[in-house]
Amino acid sequence: MTASLAPSQAPAGRRRSTRRRLGPVGTSVLGAVIGLAFLIPLWWTVVNSLRPGDETFRYLNPLEWRTFFTLTPTLDNYFALLDTDLGRAILNSLFISLVTVVVGLAICATAAYGLSAFKFRGQGLLFSVIILSFLIPFDAIAIPLADMFRDWNLQNTFFGLILPGLGNGMAIFLLRTFFLAIPEELVEAARLDGLGPWGVFRRIYLPLSVPALIGAGLMLFLFQWQAYVWPLLMGTDRDHVVGPVALSNLQGQFAVDYGVLFAASVILILIPLAIIIGFQRYFIQSVSTTGLK
Amino acid sequence: MKRSRALLLAGVAASAVLLAGCSAPADSGSAGDGSGTVRFLGPEDPATFAPVIEAFEAEHPEITIDYTQVPFDQYSSTLQQRLGAKDDTIDVYAVDQPNLSQLAAQGFLEDLSDLSDEAKAATSSAQFEINQYDGKMWALSVWNSTQMLFFNRDALAAAGVEAPTADPAARWTWEQTADAGRAAQAAGTQYGLLLEQVEAYYQLQPLAESLGGGSGIIGDDMLTVDVTNDGWVKAMDWYGDTFESGLSPRGVGGFQTAPVFIDGNVAFFVGGPWDVGRFASDASFDWGVAPMPYFEGGEVATPTGSWSWGVNTASKNKDAAREFIEFAALDPAGALTTTEATTIIPSNSEAAATYLPGLEELGGEHAAGVADLITYEIEETAVPRPVSVGYVQFESAMNTAFADIRNGSDPAARLEQATTQIQDAWKKLR
Repeated sequence: MTASLAPSQAPAGRRRSTRRRLGPVGTSVLGAVIGLAFLIPLWWTVVNSLRPGDETFRYLNPLEWRTFFTLTPTLDNYFALLDTDLGRAILNSLFISLVTVVVGLAICATAAYGLSAFKFRGQGLLFSVIILSFLIPFDAIAIPLADMFRDWNLQNTFFGLILPGLGNGMAIFLLRTFFLAIPEELVEAARLDGLGPWGVFRRIYLPLSVPALIGAGLMLFLFQWQAYVWPLLMGTDRDHVVGPVALSNLQGQFAVDYGVLFAASVILILIPLAIIIGFQRYFIQSVSTTGLK
Repeated sequence: MKRSRALLLAGVAASAVLLAGCSAPADSGSAGDGSGTVRFLGPEDPATFAPVIEAFEAEHPEITIDYTQVPFDQYSSTLQQRLGAKDDTIDVYAVDQPNLSQLAAQGFLEDLSDLSDEAKAATSSAQFEINQYDGKMWALSVWNSTQMLFFNRDALAAAGVEAPTADPAARWTWEQTADAGRAAQAAGTQYGLLLEQVEAYYQLQPLAESLGGGSGIIGDDMLTVDVTNDGWVKAMDWYGDTFESGLSPRGVGGFQTAPVFIDGNVAFFVGGPWDVGRFASDASFDWGVAPMPYFEGGEVATPTGSWSWGVNTASKNKDAAREFIEFAALDPAGALTTTEATTIIPSNSEAAATYLPGLEELGGEHAAGVADLITYEIEETAVPRPVSVGYVQFESAMNTAFADIRNGSDPAARLEQATTQIQDAWKKLR
């Protein structure tokens, strides 16, 4: 019986070990293929930003190695950007995004603290309203909101561009969940040592929540960095033009220089990419640890 | 605790000061005395209007023009929202001519009828009529356009085909063009024919007009769709087949097309005057210009129309705003400066007469005859887009239908579907 069992067991064991070995290899290959699929459009954009606009579509049909590589890279498209409003627009976008992050975090963190550290009547209702506020797409309310802003004479002002990004329901939600996980004992100990509500917020909550604050800050940053409809509605004269609008403005009515367009896209991608890569450790941490006790 | 509260308050105060600092609204022009700042909104690159603004400011030192660009794709919708909210930071804006009646009907354009006589004298009759709605004149034509058949002479020579000429009397038919395009393909050129704006009503309307299909909008109120008649279906059958048969490439979208011609990959290319300068500088083969074709046995019809400029009814600086558009449209020297930084035809006839020989010169020997050809088309064969308050919805639904037809949808069924869509969209306009 042992003799009859052995042969049937051996191949099963080999199969298992082959499967065990193939498993990780297969997943890695699959992962690499999916990663490449995501990279290809970005790579194509970078390559085309390095060749003259008229060559953009030359190697598309049929696909060949030159579709994705160029032997004669040139920075002309990037130099051409110097004659456009893009530089000014990037500075404007950075200014708007950074002010939004600083002021927005102050507002959202205070709101989240109020909703997590205190008990008051109507708290549940207030929190539901905040949740609702980020479930409604911003674009859906942008038009009536723009009418109101116009009545307040906020068109073509940085204030008008920054204001809608400050109170972010999703950021408040994230921060509140994180704040709820802060041990009650710690807060009580701080109170016994004589700290008031602001002291607890500043000395206990904020230092413990740096990853969550960075996560929420990135969200506020990206909201403004990608803003397109709102700046269009609020007016984008040359002094207040933002990155995405300047990029779209490069697309002429009669002719489009795709080389320059791609060069501008690459620059607009690089800035948030640098920021996200710099902070990604904290960002992932903040999302994955939110709500953990 | 006191220190932390003080810090927080300081922080809040600092942000308040910072925000207040950025909120100083732009200086609004002085009201109504023909001076101050005129805010001008358009879809063009600021460099395009720099010459006209500079020339105007030199002549009117008391007025400053402040130009803002809105991306072309979002121009209509942005304009609609901002004008609808009575935005007084727009004094003058560029009006896409087919949208004029809709803007005028909503009260977004100042009545300029007192300038009618001058406007009539300054431009062609088609360009004068295009600004009329409800018996009044609402804007002044600044630019005009037409379409021509560009061809790759080298590709045709390789196929042994004699190239067309710029003479309107020897105009080719679409059938002839397609045959020659196929011959060029057989001789090694990748594609036979390509229209610059493959999915745009502007360029495709003449196909149906040539076969008697009309503009697609009929009725006294111009709110009845008529795109399923024989002319339209036949034209779209032909158009769909140019892609089905491989004469035209499917994967190339509107305005990605000129590079295909510049690369020498297509024998015939239907494009505008703006392509003359572009091909002159970028194309390295022998090319030429001929009149836009028509269908055998059909009418000759060419696209026309471009941009007018109008004054916003909510503007607080209308006198200065009017000065500016009169300069750009009615003064020949002013009109000429609007086309200094771009290759498009000024609507002002006198300016066009000065401009066109220069355009021909720009194209060198390739563009020989283009000035006379453009003048002929604008005066004799131009068919404007229909004037209807529902044009915006009509164009948008038709452009989607053209995209589907070139990608293989059955033309008759797809035109039926477009008719239903447009009629639904028009219900609230009636």
